[in-house]
Amino acid sequence: MEDQNTGAPGIRTPVLEVTDLSMSFTLHAINRSVPSLDKVSFTLYEGEHLALAGSSGAGKSSLLRCVVRNYLPDSGTVLLHDGDRVTDLTALDDRSMARLRGRDFGYVSQFLNAPPRQGPLRLVTNAALRRGLSAADAGDAAAESLLKLGIEERLWDVDCSVLSGGERQRVNLAAGTVSPPRLLLLDEPVSALDPANRALALDVIESLHHQDVSVLAIYHDMGIIRRVADRVLLMENGVIAADGSPDEVLSAGHAVLDEVYA
Amino acid sequence: MSIIDNTLTGSDTSALEALLPGDPYEGRPVVMDEQAKREVRRAVLSGICVPGYIVPFGSREMPVARGWGSGGLQVTLAIGGRSDLVKVIDQGDEEGVNAVNLRRLIVGTLGSKATADTDDATIVQSRHRVPEEWMPGGSTLVLQVPQSEPLRAVEKSVYECKRRHAEGDYAKMWVALYERLSLTGIMGAGAGHPVMVHDRYLMAPSPIPRWDIPRLHQSDQLTILSHGRDKKIYAVPPYTKVEPLTFDDVPFEVEHTEGVACAKCGSTESFMVETKTHEFICSDVQFCLKVRAGVVDAARHDALVPRHYYPDPSKRVRAAAPVDPSLRPAAPSGVTAPGTDWSLKVEGLGKVFPGRRASSEVVAAADISFDVAPGEALGVIGESGSGKSTVMRVIIGDELEATGGVYVGAVGEGRTNLLSLTAPQRRRLRTNIMSVVYQNPALGLDMNISAGGNIADALIAAGWRSYHQIRRRAAELLERVEVPLSRVDDVVGQFSGGMQQRVQIAKALATDPQVLLLDEPTTGLDASVAAGVLDLLRELLAERELAVVVVSHDFSVIDALTDRAVVMKQGRIVEAGLTDQLFANPHHPYTQQLVAAARS
Repeated sequence: MEDQNTGAPGIRTPVLEVTDLSMSFTLHAINRSVPSLDKVSFTLYEGEHLALAGSSGAGKSSLLRCVVRNYLPDSGTVLLHDGDRVTDLTALDDRSMARLRGRDFGYVSQFLNAPPRQGPLRLVTNAALRRGLSAADAGDAAAESLLKLGIEERLWDVDCSVLSGGERQRVNLAAGTVSPPRLLLLDEPVSALDPANRALALDVIESLHHQDVSVLAIYHDMGIIRRVADRVLLMENGVIAADGSPDEVLSAGHAVLDEVYA
Repeated sequence: MSIIDNTLTGSDTSALEALLPGDPYEGRPVVMDEQAKREVRRAVLSGICVPGYIVPFGSREMPVARGWGSGGLQVTLAIGGRSDLVKVIDQGDEEGVNAVNLRRLIVGTLGSKATADTDDATIVQSRHRVPEEWMPGGSTLVLQVPQSEPLRAVEKSVYECKRRHAEGDYAKMWVALYERLSLTGIMGAGAGHPVMVHDRYLMAPSPIPRWDIPRLHQSDQLTILSHGRDKKIYAVPPYTKVEPLTFDDVPFEVEHTEGVACAKCGSTESFMVETKTHEFICSDVQFCLKVRAGVVDAARHDALVPRHYYPDPSKRVRAAAPVDPSLRPAAPSGVTAPGTDWSLKVEGLGKVFPGRRASSEVVAAADISFDVAPGEALGVIGESGSGKSTVMRVIIGDELEATGGVYVGAVGEGRTNLLSLTAPQRRRLRTNIMSVVYQNPALGLDMNISAGGNIADALIAAGWRSYHQIRRRAAELLERVEVPLSRVDDVVGQFSGGMQQRVQIAKALATDPQVLLLDEPTTGLDASVAAGVLDLLRELLAERELAVVVVSHDFSVIDALTDRAVVMKQGRIVEAGLTDQLFANPHHPYTQQLVAAARS
C-alpha cells in the first residue's frame, strides 16, 4: 500500500520502531519463567493502521503492553519517533514515561479501568485535558466523542461501574480517541459490542485514518481487519509469523487463522 | 489629697504599736524571711528585664490560703518597706473581706501605712482590677494571678506551652480567638484578654476587665503579676508596649455602653458593675467617692479613658454572618530545585530504632531514595512494618533522628538537607511548605474546635491575621472538600470519620504547600466513604502542582492516586516503577505476593 501522507512513494516516516523485543513472566511462586515475546521486530509508519492477529496467548496484548510499559520487556528497544527526535521507551525513566503516556500516545485497554465515582463525561474530559485541550474545549470534545459512540447524554454522569460491558468499552474507546494523539494502541476495542454499536465504533476507528493517527490494534475478527487495517502482523507463540497486507496474510492459509478466525 | 485615708480598717496600727516596747518594727511577726524576700526580688527583677516572660520562683507558704492572693502578698512583702503607702483592693473595693485581711497582714508585717488613695499609694496590690485613677510614675501595681500561663486553656502540656513561648508560636491562642469570634461575634468576651507584651511574649494580664488592659500599655507604673500557687512571677515595666491580641480587621473592644452613667457619681467613663437593683455603679469605689467629692484629676483620668476601644457595632463580626466562599486565584505552581525537575528528593534515607532492654535494634528504613516532581504523585506501598510510615514521618519531621537527606525545591533551592535543620525550623516548614494527612484525623485536627477553626489554625500559623480572609478561605476549602458550609462552625469531634478526613485534607491544603504527604488517607473508612475521599484527593491533586507522596498498604489507593510507586519491604525499596506496571507485571517476589493478595 502506498503511503498517503508524505506523497513520496516508498519513503515512509516511522512512528514506532520495535526491535528484538523479548519479554517473559517470572513467576516466583512457582519458580518458573514463562516466555511471552521472543525478539519481535516491526515498524509502524505514520498514518498506518497496523492490526495484530493471532490466537490467545500469542503475545499480542503483551506486545502492546510492553510498548506502553505496562509490562517491562526483558530486552530490545521500542523507539518512538517524533520528527527528528527519537525516544527509546524501554530506557525512559518512569517520570518521563508517565508524562508521555496519555499525551503523546494513547492506550485503550480491553477493559475500562475507571476510578470510582467518575462518570463517562468526566473520564473522557480528563483524557482530553491530558492531551492538552483547554478546559473549555475538553468538555465539548468529550461530549462529541461520547455521542459518536452512541453514549447518550443521560449516561454521562452515571458512575462508570454501573454501565454495561458494551457501554464501558465504548466509554473507554471514547477516552482513547478524543483529540487523538499521534499514536494509538487499541487492545480489542470492539470485542464486547453488538453489531450496531460495533459499526459506530468502527466508524470512529476508521476516521482516525483521516486524522493522521497511527494505530496499532488487536482484533479478533477478519472482517474488521479487512475493513480498517492497512497491514497485519500475525503472531504465534511470541513471534511474528506473518507480516503483510490483510489480503496477503489472511489468504495465505495460516493454520492458526482457521482455528481462531473461522 | 487623701480624704478617706484613716477610715480604713486595719490601717490604724497605733494601738498595736503602743503595746510593743522599743522599735515597733523589731517585734513584728516575720511572715517572710529575708532569703524568701530575696528570692522573690530576684524573680521580679528577671521579670522586669524580660517583659511578659514568666519567671518561676520559690513560692513560700503564706498565712493565707493559696488562691487568696498568696502570690501578690509575697511580692508586696518582698518589695515593700516601712516607708511605703500600701493600697489593697479586691475588684476595685477596699472593703472586701479579702482586701481587708491582706491589708492587715501587709501593714502589720511591713510596718508601713495603708492608704485608699491611688494618688498617694506607692504599692497597690489588687485582685482583678487596675485602679480607675492614674497611677503615678514610681508606683507599683501588684496583681494577684489565678492563672499565669496564657496558653493553659488551649494547651494542656506544660512543655508545649514553654516551647510555644520560646518560638513565639501563639497560633493556638489566635485559633481560640477565632473560635470565640465565630461564636459570639465580639472580640474579647471575657476578663483577662490575652495581651502581647513588647511584641514578644503572650501574657495573661490576670482577669482584669478589657477596660483595664489599655492601662498596662505605656503606663507610668510598674506592674508585677504573681501567681503563688503556680510559683510564677512576670512583669510589665513602665512604658512598655502591651497590646490586646486581635485580628487585623476585628477591633478589640472594652466594656462600655453609650449613655450609661454611675448611679452614685454620674460618671460615664469608668468601668461599671451592675447592682442587684439593675443600677450601674463604678467598680472602683474610691474613684467614685473622689468624683463625688470633686477631687479627681479630670485631665489625667480623661487621658486614661480607652475611647479608641469603645465598641463600634459597624466593625463587629456578625456571629451568624453567612460565609462567602469566593474564588481565589489558582494555587501557586510547584518550585523545583534549579536545574532539576523535582520538588522533593529523598536520598539514602535511613532510620534505625535503637534496641531497648531485650529487643535488638530495628532498621526501619535503609537507603531509601526517590524524588517527586510538581504535579506528580509517588506511591509507597508495603505491608505493615515495612517502614513506609517511618519514611513518611522522617520526611515530614515527626521523626527527627535519621540519616541521609531530604531536600525540597522551595527550601534553599533544594540544597538544604531538611534533616540538618532544628526542630523549630522543621515545624515552620510545616506551616507553608509541607503538609501531611494522617490516617487518623485526630492526629491532624483539633477535635475540640470547629472545622473552620481547624483550618484557621493552619492559616494563622502561616501568618494570616485577617479574620474575614481566614473565614473566606476556610469556607472555600470546606466547600471544595464537600463539607456543607452550614457545618463550618461545628465541632469536628462530632463529624463522621469521612467528614473528619475531608476537613483534615482541607487543612493540609489550606496554605498551598509544595509537598503533600498522605499516610493511609482512606484506611479506616468504609468502602463507599473511602471511594469518595479517594475521588476527592484525585481531583485536588489534578488541580494543583503538588509533589505528593502516598503511603498505603492498599494497592487500589496507590493505583487511584499515583503514576509511579516504590515497593518497600523490611525498610528497603525492593522495586520501583510505573504504578500500573508494578501491578500488571511485578518482578520482585514480594511485589508478586502483594499483587496476588490484592487480587484475591
